[in-house]
Amino acid sequence: MQSTTVSLRRVPQGRLALWLLIAGELIIFGSAIVVYLLLRLRYPEWGAEAAKTHLSLGAFNTLVLLVSSYFAAKAHEASLKKLKGKVLRYLSLTVLCGLIFLGVKSYEYTEKISHGYTFTSPKLVEAGQGAAALFWSFYYFLTGLHALHVLVGLIAIGFIMYYVKNNKHFHRVELVALYWHMVDLIWIFLFPLLYIMQ
Amino acid sequence: MNIFPEAVSTYAHEMDKLFWLITLFAGLGFFITIGILIYSLIRFRYSPQRKPMTFRGNTFREFRWVALGMALLAFADFYVLYDEHDTWDKMMQSVPEEKDLHIAITGRQWNWIFTYPGPDGKLYTADDVIINEPNSTIHIPIHKNVVFDIRSVDVIHSVFLKEARFKYDAIPGRTITKWVQFHRPGKYELICAELCGVLHSKMRNFIMVESEEVFQQWLDELYAGTNE
Amino acid sequence: MATHTQSFWTKYIFSQDHKVIGAQYLIVGLIMAAVAGFFAYVFRYHLAYPDAEIPLWGTLDPRTYNMLVTTHGALMIFWVAMPILVAAIGNFLIPTMLGTDDMAFPFLNMLSFWVFFLSAVVVVTSLFVPGGGFDGGWTLYPPLSADAYLNTNPDFWKALFSGGSLVILALALEFASMLMGGINFMVTTINKRARGMSFSRMPILVWFMNFSVVTFMFSVGPVIAGALMLLLDRVAGTGFYDAYRGGDPILFQHLFWFFGHPEVYVLLFPTLGVMGEIIPTFARKPLFGYKFIIGASIVAIILSMVVWAHHQFVAGINPYMAVFFSVGTILISIPFAGIILSYVATIFGGNIRLELPMWWAVGFLATFLIGGLTGLYLGSNTFDIYAHDTSFVVAHFHYTLFPITFFGFFAAFYYWFPKYAGRMYNDFLGKLHFWGTFIFFQLFALPIFFLGLNGQPRRMADYTAFETLMQDWHIQFREIATISAILLILTQFIWLYNFIVSLWKGKRVSSDNPWQANTLEWQAPSPPPHGNFEVYPEVYRDPYTFGVVQVNGTKRDFIPQNEKLPS
Repeated sequence: MQSTTVSLRRVPQGRLALWLLIAGELIIFGSAIVVYLLLRLRYPEWGAEAAKTHLSLGAFNTLVLLVSSYFAAKAHEASLKKLKGKVLRYLSLTVLCGLIFLGVKSYEYTEKISHGYTFTSPKLVEAGQGAAALFWSFYYFLTGLHALHVLVGLIAIGFIMYYVKNNKHFHRVELVALYWHMVDLIWIFLFPLLYIMQ
Repeated sequence: MNIFPEAVSTYAHEMDKLFWLITLFAGLGFFITIGILIYSLIRFRYSPQRKPMTFRGNTFREFRWVALGMALLAFADFYVLYDEHDTWDKMMQSVPEEKDLHIAITGRQWNWIFTYPGPDGKLYTADDVIINEPNSTIHIPIHKNVVFDIRSVDVIHSVFLKEARFKYDAIPGRTITKWVQFHRPGKYELICAELCGVLHSKMRNFIMVESEEVFQQWLDELYAGTNE
Repeated sequence: MATHTQSFWTKYIFSQDHKVIGAQYLIVGLIMAAVAGFFAYVFRYHLAYPDAEIPLWGTLDPRTYNMLVTTHGALMIFWVAMPILVAAIGNFLIPTMLGTDDMAFPFLNMLSFWVFFLSAVVVVTSLFVPGGGFDGGWTLYPPLSADAYLNTNPDFWKALFSGGSLVILALALEFASMLMGGINFMVTTINKRARGMSFSRMPILVWFMNFSVVTFMFSVGPVIAGALMLLLDRVAGTGFYDAYRGGDPILFQHLFWFFGHPEVYVLLFPTLGVMGEIIPTFARKPLFGYKFIIGASIVAIILSMVVWAHHQFVAGINPYMAVFFSVGTILISIPFAGIILSYVATIFGGNIRLELPMWWAVGFLATFLIGGLTGLYLGSNTFDIYAHDTSFVVAHFHYTLFPITFFGFFAAFYYWFPKYAGRMYNDFLGKLHFWGTFIFFQLFALPIFFLGLNGQPRRMADYTAFETLMQDWHIQFREIATISAILLILTQFIWLYNFIVSLWKGKRVSSDNPWQANTLEWQAPSPPPHGNFEVYPEVYRDPYTFGVVQVNGTKRDFIPQNEKLPS
């Protein structure tokens, strides 16, 4: 749908709206992280639980996301020159990285679940370690919410690739790249908080 | 009709005095503002001949009346804070050293559970006496510092003794320790002030405030009852 | 422009025209207001006559009572005040006041309405699911709202389709919708102002609308995170708020009130904006302290983020922290007092036309003043120990939110009705409506203050269990409040009749600018067509140029923003 015709200021509307969206998203994640940190201070035993996360896989995933952010930036760069082939190539690489991230994440999840560390961790609760179970609730809540954003980002990139393929809306590559950087940024906060802070 | 229920605790009167202080300020603010509003509406009714003023409040000279209003409000605000602080300190920030009676009061759906220290005089020991039934009456001595440990086993409740101006939430997982000293004997209703489920409005117990001797007698009977 | 023909569907249902979307928000909001108002009638009736059969309803058990109170609160705040004050008024006025054709993102605008509509459907559905509607209070305090004591394995689908979970889902949808709408408002304001419309020439209402959505955007994050966790507690059996598993019920209260208190200002700002347009127009005098009002609002927004815990003075928070929050709370009264006094100063010395919208504005100032001043009692941390969770609080927030929502809406309604309907309302019925609403509201809410001061707790299905709450005057006051509430509701039918009849049969307005106001929407045709303006206006001055002037030899007391004066 075409945006309206009368626009007298030259602020790019899409970019402005996206920055506002990102501000909103960061506040949601920010408050979830603050809550996590406050409880982390209350329960030192969470350190022991954090040690059970798969540090190397988490680090690998961080690397994957950083690389994907680089590809997104390259796609944006190419979109300014309307280089269709280059944009599509870099966006595909971004999607690939996103899929690897989600694959590794689901492997981590299945592994943890097979060890009894589930969303509610009933085993820990029965053993009287309610607070430890709460760590895992937070682990799944924060990473799950983040993974959901990765998924939404992938779908959005898919749409943009379709547009670009039809030589339309090159400027929207920038928007999706911005969103992708945000997803990356959130992970950079989550990774040390959930994996490293033991 | 009295605005407040009878004041029966040591800090209840201070709370009521605070109310009248705020009422003084709020009333002044209300009547001055409404007065100016009504005066303007009558005095400046439309007339084709009138040339309305055109000030926009951009200079201090024009703005000073609004600034004065704000300053008065700020003064009233901080005076209230200053005035109330002793009462706040007494109620919230200090539990008296001398605990004449230490009772745990635990909310559950839908009655209050009272735990009295056993004959050893200490709470949370094996000989504690627990009263757990709807509409039960507990007894406490007059002119004594009674300390309550407020807890909950299920949802959030709130201990409300309106005659004593005493109200604190009972929150699962926490123990909130507050005190009260009654200075008038009588039987007072203990209300739950936080929505706690279907029978919230039927959650009622009583507190009987009586002289030391009568209280001791009741306590002895309580102990005897449990020893049966 | 934009004269292409549209089918019924694209014109009225899936419309992208900001005025139609505004009307859609308004209609949904009003329907929800009718539902919430009916609920209020039922439980008020029950409070006054606990044993009586309620006409049009029947008997009321405590569980249903709790459900009605909960739903009344949630609906009135999130499905009446939010859509009407923020979405409807904002949609109608922002593009026209800025002198442009539509919002920056018309498609997003439509989407945000339909997400909102979905949220309304979900919240109404929540009343009819097995197990009944949600009955844990609109503040959703866990553990009561979480149903999860050591329950690590709830039945997911059953828990999802329960009243509480659906209410949380509906809230999430509503927040998403308002966030979309808010982004749209801000981008429109920044990007689509008419030529010459600098920020300092924007009507104060546009400023206030943006303050409203900014406040919403910055405060809603925590409650979204908190509500997601609450939903997970219900459907997945996590223990975020379960004290027996390391969770903390108070945590939710913090997350909720971090949003909940600014939310009051989210609702207050649009109404202040409406008053800021109406008062200068009818006082024929420039708005007093335009820049001061903007500055004071920004201060208030910042302060509003540090006052939330005043809702928790008795919830076991650290007493020293409580003093901090008490200071924040009373500090925030100062900028708002400044704004209200500025409006009074605008009235002072004017040439006042007491037309109907002005009556509503004055009624708002008088009523809201009581609401604001009774906030002093609750902001005082010590007195709040006693007043918290009593009917005093109920009376206080009805004295703030009722004038904000209904006086604000009706003032806006009567003021802009000639513009957007192209016809005039019936003035006599309008005055009757005003006096009925004004008087019955006071008679409804004033007795509740006294009941609260006498220690009557709120949210109680009936008081018959408590002897000290059943004195004769208590019973009489409850009756007065209930009868007034019923009359207050009945009075609104006068408005409904006036609205519908005037919409079809009202006298056509002879002028596009019946109130002789200066802002740009009055320069558009009445009603404004799709695209709003025939010629897009250019702005030469601020919107409050009132006072007698000579223009081209004729005497006038206003100069519209887009009128070019001969130099």
